[in-house]
Amino acid sequence: MQNMLLFVDKVSTWIGQAFSWLIVSLTVLISWEVFSRYALDHPHAWAFDVMIMMYGTLFMMAGAYTLSKNGHVRGDVLYGFFPPRLQAGLDLALYLLFFIPGVVAFVWAGYIYAAESWAIREGSNITADGPPYYPFKTVIPIAGAFLLLQGIVEIIRCVMCLRAGDWPSREEDVQEVDVDKLKKMVHVKDSDIAAADKYVVTHGHGGESK
Amino acid sequence: MRKEVWFGLSIMAAVVIMLFVLMPAPSAMTNGHLGLLMLGLIVVGIMLGFPTAFTLMGMGVFFGWLAYYSVDPKIATRQILDLMVQRAYSVMSNDVLIAIPLFVFMGYLVERAALIDRLFKSLHLATARVPGALAVATIVTCAIFATATGIVGAVVTLMGLLAFPAMLKAGYNTKVAAGAITAGGCLGILIPPSVLLIVYGAVAGVSVVKLYAGAFGPGFMLAALYIGYVIVLAKLRPDLMPPLPASERSVALPPTLQRLATKGSNAFAGLWRATTGTGTAGVQKGSVLGQFLVTLIPALFVVAVLGVTWQFATAPAALIDTAGLVEAGAKNTAEASEELSSASTALGDSDSSGLQEPPSETAKDAAAPVATDAAKPAAAELAKAAVAEKTPIAAAPEAERLPVPTWFWIVFGAGVVFLVVLYRYWSWERFEVFKMLLSSFFPLAILILMVLGSIVFGLATPTEAAAVGALGGGLLAAGYRFTAHWRTASPKDKVSSTVRTTAKELGGIVKESAFLTAKTSAMVCWLFVGSSIFSASFALLGGQEIINHWVLSMDLTPVQFMILAQVIIFLLGWPLEWTEIIVIFMPIFIPLLPHFNIDPLFFGLLVALNLQTAFLSPPVAMAAFYLKGVSPKHVTLNAIFAGMLPFMGIQIIALILLYVFPAIGMWLPQTLYK
Repeated sequence: MQNMLLFVDKVSTWIGQAFSWLIVSLTVLISWEVFSRYALDHPHAWAFDVMIMMYGTLFMMAGAYTLSKNGHVRGDVLYGFFPPRLQAGLDLALYLLFFIPGVVAFVWAGYIYAAESWAIREGSNITADGPPYYPFKTVIPIAGAFLLLQGIVEIIRCVMCLRAGDWPSREEDVQEVDVDKLKKMVHVKDSDIAAADKYVVTHGHGGESK
Repeated sequence: MRKEVWFGLSIMAAVVIMLFVLMPAPSAMTNGHLGLLMLGLIVVGIMLGFPTAFTLMGMGVFFGWLAYYSVDPKIATRQILDLMVQRAYSVMSNDVLIAIPLFVFMGYLVERAALIDRLFKSLHLATARVPGALAVATIVTCAIFATATGIVGAVVTLMGLLAFPAMLKAGYNTKVAAGAITAGGCLGILIPPSVLLIVYGAVAGVSVVKLYAGAFGPGFMLAALYIGYVIVLAKLRPDLMPPLPASERSVALPPTLQRLATKGSNAFAGLWRATTGTGTAGVQKGSVLGQFLVTLIPALFVVAVLGVTWQFATAPAALIDTAGLVEAGAKNTAEASEELSSASTALGDSDSSGLQEPPSETAKDAAAPVATDAAKPAAAELAKAAVAEKTPIAAAPEAERLPVPTWFWIVFGAGVVFLVVLYRYWSWERFEVFKMLLSSFFPLAILILMVLGSIVFGLATPTEAAAVGALGGGLLAAGYRFTAHWRTASPKDKVSSTVRTTAKELGGIVKESAFLTAKTSAMVCWLFVGSSIFSASFALLGGQEIINHWVLSMDLTPVQFMILAQVIIFLLGWPLEWTEIIVIFMPIFIPLLPHFNIDPLFFGLLVALNLQTAFLSPPVAMAAFYLKGVSPKHVTLNAIFAGMLPFMGIQIIALILLYVFPAIGMWLPQTLYK
């Protein structure tokens, strides 16, 4: 079971990471477009459409990836204090109540939307003669489907946690605040921090309030 | 289970029960009531800790479907699906939000350039004589670094690793040290280019450009208030922040400078003698010349600033066809100064219609004749000016220039006095500190100023500036990594091995940054998707109307409304993250603003300033937990919270100041975009 969950995690991660490279191409594309427009006096009409599509695809396709890394923002003031079983129970209920109906509707709506766009081979509504938009709109149901798949995995995780009383493990991923990496970056060792401790104690006005 | 949990859960249960008690009987329920129920439930839903984006999405779909169902049951399903996908697509094709991943990417790249320890060290030496030197250096470092990266957690952690032990070692009070780090680290979400302002701009339909221009004043005011507080406190209570011992202040001179120092105690005079004289033993002439040029940088800078000021002061009054003039300026700058780096081309090229993309061809054609006419007489004068300045507005013919106003001479005098004083006290140590700043502080400051300058002066859209900024961040990271490897590389095939290791590391940096960017943008933008579905349903049910009626029936004065709104946002900032507050709750406040004649731009600045407190208000202040994570073990969370409180007080003072003197924020946007 755990292997299957991790496999779906890996799929979501792989897709999210593959699409995250769009940010690099987006940076390069816009920088080049700025240079081309101002320095070479040669703007490209399609550039704006392509930028929008890159940005939209980037974040939509990263949705499942973010979910698999538990990265979607939650109000964790109380949640953080809950014991794992209560967390899992609440999550399970809300996945069934909000997530599944919402995302199923999302995929369904996206499917209709994309199908209509394919039917008329929809072009850009920003530029005349712009690039085709139907592949971009297809991103909606695809991203939604991956999100749904990842959501089902999360539901299974909740059930497992309810049974075992502890959350099943996730794969490691690059962290926004990775303390160990940051320590290495500024060449600070744990012993240095421990060494600073004596100043807190000796000055006496730091730690426990007197 | 812990007491807090029961407390929280019972509060939420009470809210739900209240909601249902207050609701009329199901038969008498109108859609508006449903809307209010929806709003009440969402608060509970968020507090339960489920990913907010999906809570919003699920609830939005359900209540939206109810709204449509009450009108026409047959097509309700189809309608809600259409509404949902339209809202999602509007986020996907939003030309304001596109700047978010780019700025986030830039932030991660700059963070990984690993220049913060150099930045802190040089600022610490530069401010060594100021009272509370380390705390001041900490706040300045935080402000600069947080502005460039915008990642509160990383800035606080890094400064907790670097500055916190340094301050403790110097005998600083733990609380003051903790307060300076946490407060400084949070400045990044206020000072542009901040993602918060982009999100607010997208929600409220306010121009991000104006928001950026407006946030300068409050942002720098807050930073200045922090610094002022620290300096005053250090003066009044030296026991809290003892001055640094001489050993901590001394600057070690490299051998070259030590030899040159024999030429006299003043670096400027000494270098002048060394450059013009016969040479110094053991120092190559070329390196002396290099040092001398570095010494001249402040002078060149002052001359450049004076040049730009002169251009502004005497610019002809009737500047109607700005587009043409700016075009001409851009052209001349490009010709006159090829040495302007590629980065500054983005800056130097200016099209005042740069905000609309793509720039209309007709405007350019129309501008062309004007451009050539204007260019000829101005060419000679421009060639001179263009070297020094990068803001080419000066293509107007000499004859039409206005007489030089008196204030210009005052500025000129101040500049000259500044230079004289600077070079009078330009000791070798100061020169060395200046060189350190040059390699840490200025590259970052220039990157930020370039990005912001091009946005605020309308040379580029926020998106374009963000992309170029991200590219600049990448170059910065490459440059810093290269120099770091250069120092440690073995002498054998130094160049190729350094290039290889740098390229390898840069690949890793870009990869990590891209992944993090994808996750952060997905987090913000999916929240946006969920919230726009939610607020569409909310509006559909007429909940917004009920709130409007209710607020208007209270008959508040604008001041009362403003205070009420800020208090609510302050309270929301306690349990919620700023993303949730802006994305979910701003759409409720914004429609009320016109009733009270409040500028959404001004409101946005107040909100951004207000949300600073969200990061510092115990017991959920994120900044405190990041700092605690890297503190020595005897530093308690309570000490950190206690240290943050005075800074929170300053934030509230800043909020009041901004409210009483709106010009702090509104002056720049009003002057620039009349």
